[in-house]
Amino acid sequence: MAPYTGIPLSPAELSYLHTSLSQHPPIRPDARSPTAFRPLIAETDILPAANGSARICFADGTEAIVGVKAEVEKTPSASSHSINSHSINGEVADEGVRGLGSGGVRDVEDDGMDVDGGEDGKQSSKGRDEWLEVAIDIPGMRDDDALPVFLSAMLTEALLADGALKDKLYINTRFHWRLYIDILLLSLPLSYPLPLLSLTTHLALLATRLPALVSEKDEDPLFNDDWEASTHLYPPTKDETARQKPPITLLVMSVGENILFDPSREELAVADAVVAISVTQSHTNTTGPDADADADADSPNPLHLIALRTIDPPSRLTAAGLPNSLNTSAGAGAGAASQSLSSVEVAVTREKDQGVSVWRPPRGGVKRAVLARMIKMVVQAGGVGEEVLGGLRGVEI
Amino acid sequence: MAITILPPAPAHENAKAYHGDSSDNDMDIDDLPSGHRSTTTNIITPGQTVTSDPQWMRGHGTFADTDSAAIRSTLAGTLQKTNKLLSIVPLRARYTPEIGDLVIGRIVEVQSRRWKVDVAAPLLANLLLSSINLPGGVLRKRTSVDELNIRAFFGEGELLVAEVQSLFQDGSASLHTRSLRYGKLRNGYFMSVAGMGGGAGVVRAKRQIFTVQTRSGGEVDVLLGVNGFIWIAKHVAEKEDVGINRMEEKVGESMYSSQNDEIEGGTRREVAAIAGGIRILVAGGVKVEEGTVRRAYEAGLELDERERDGEMMDSERGSAVVEMVLAGG
Repeated sequence: MAPYTGIPLSPAELSYLHTSLSQHPPIRPDARSPTAFRPLIAETDILPAANGSARICFADGTEAIVGVKAEVEKTPSASSHSINSHSINGEVADEGVRGLGSGGVRDVEDDGMDVDGGEDGKQSSKGRDEWLEVAIDIPGMRDDDALPVFLSAMLTEALLADGALKDKLYINTRFHWRLYIDILLLSLPLSYPLPLLSLTTHLALLATRLPALVSEKDEDPLFNDDWEASTHLYPPTKDETARQKPPITLLVMSVGENILFDPSREELAVADAVVAISVTQSHTNTTGPDADADADADSPNPLHLIALRTIDPPSRLTAAGLPNSLNTSAGAGAGAASQSLSSVEVAVTREKDQGVSVWRPPRGGVKRAVLARMIKMVVQAGGVGEEVLGGLRGVEI
Repeated sequence: MAITILPPAPAHENAKAYHGDSSDNDMDIDDLPSGHRSTTTNIITPGQTVTSDPQWMRGHGTFADTDSAAIRSTLAGTLQKTNKLLSIVPLRARYTPEIGDLVIGRIVEVQSRRWKVDVAAPLLANLLLSSINLPGGVLRKRTSVDELNIRAFFGEGELLVAEVQSLFQDGSASLHTRSLRYGKLRNGYFMSVAGMGGGAGVVRAKRQIFTVQTRSGGEVDVLLGVNGFIWIAKHVAEKEDVGINRMEEKVGESMYSSQNDEIEGGTRREVAAIAGGIRILVAGGVKVEEGTVRRAYEAGLELDERERDGEMMDSERGSAVVEMVLAGG
């Protein structure tokens, strides 16, 4: 018998949920459609002392606050930097702490972006990964617990892989901004809080403003002390759809062939696979030679994938159910039969059942076709990624 | 629309703090009608002086300073006046077990002769090995073999419906499942709302277990645990009533099975619809009982028909359902 794992659902409930979610169309416990998100309440600029801040509240009461604070820091000179280029976890610091290098958008992007990627590579040599610091505080958890560490690594990865953010922190060759993104989850994490934190960070970064620079070139930086004159980290444009935006990370799960967005806790408890997909909008100046001519000016820039992580689904830790044929207490007749079974026969019966009649924790990974469909649903024109960005555009900043 | 993002709503205008220290405060208490109103918006916080007038007596949820006659609150809640007795009704509280309550619980721990059951009370409840029905309905003393096979009856995480049999000194409950209606739960969906003890949620009623005839999914059982745990499951047709002498035949069937029956998609959708109705009731501050659950389900169906094509915002739909439920009651 599997130990109690902290997922407080019985095998019968897990089996019911799993079968409901694998129907066509899936029946979610809260009657949402597969791509629907739970309604959010969002506001920005709530912390007067931060450069940018945002708050997002889910209907179930989970709530997160993000504050972005910027600080001017002296850039170690090029020569001293090369001396200091120690390796962190076996990765050379020059390539980026997280091994992302300067490439910004590389392997993962689709066709037609090659020119853009090349430009990014050149530009992003100005910024460095370590100028961005993400700290996550979750109540009841230590800073070095696995969940906050993984979450902050995933969010940092998405923000850095974009390549655009760290370049914005460059002031001149001697100074740069250091950006502290402090994420505070106000409630206990009822479900995996990644999308909540990512959307809140997105809004906070959109609302972030930095003092306007008045000094020139390589002088010691001097700033305009009028806050009204400050500039946005992501400057707003007349056409909101064309505005450059921080990336968002969405949590996607699959049950059988079905793909579900924004899973709740009980849905995660029966997930076959959980994937965190980070997407960002292509930059406005994507006019490569093969830039699609048929894309009209009104349509928002296409999304592209910048990071993808699989998350160990909590369903693996659940206890398997016992089919009636093996249950000694399910019925007098069956009990008598099963008592005569050897352990080998019991194991064979369980394997043959394949989780059809009772719940069995999922094994193995996600199918390539399902993964490809997940990514497509997020990035395609009119897909979930665009709808989420469209929804976030409505938030007043 | 895949996502709806709303701006934060301003706090309710009627919600104003209760000013305990002003001189006209005693007038306020005098003006209060006797009894408790659920619409009260005056919220009293712990430590706040309710009154310093010695004519009032202090009741539940209050304490008095040793040196003065001022009555202070120990809870966050609303004021209830019964003649000259002042007490505070908490905004929300944990479930306090009482003998005879029908509760739904989840096994947290298996011990040698008993299970520890989470019933949303301050303390875990006990379910003794001797207070369950044995498969086959045999009536005998529990042996050491039963103790060894205790997980064959209930394992960790499993849900059961039971009745509070007795209370211990410390207020924790002892449960029993010695009835054909009680036992392990399967074929359904679990949800938890606030239980007895303040605010909206499940209230003690004449019937805690009832069957809803759904439009397209056949019959669905709804079990409202007094502790706020709710089980919505496919109705399994019972055979004709068995007498006490043939009890073993029924008990033997599937008492401790954890395998679900075949449930069609229609039934699953109806289960989700009833659960959605209950969620709306709780969000709207309506108590959850047989009548309101049935009306919320019917109101949901009616709205679905009316809004067949037009998308309705969740909040609008919620308030519409609450209105229809209250109008029907």
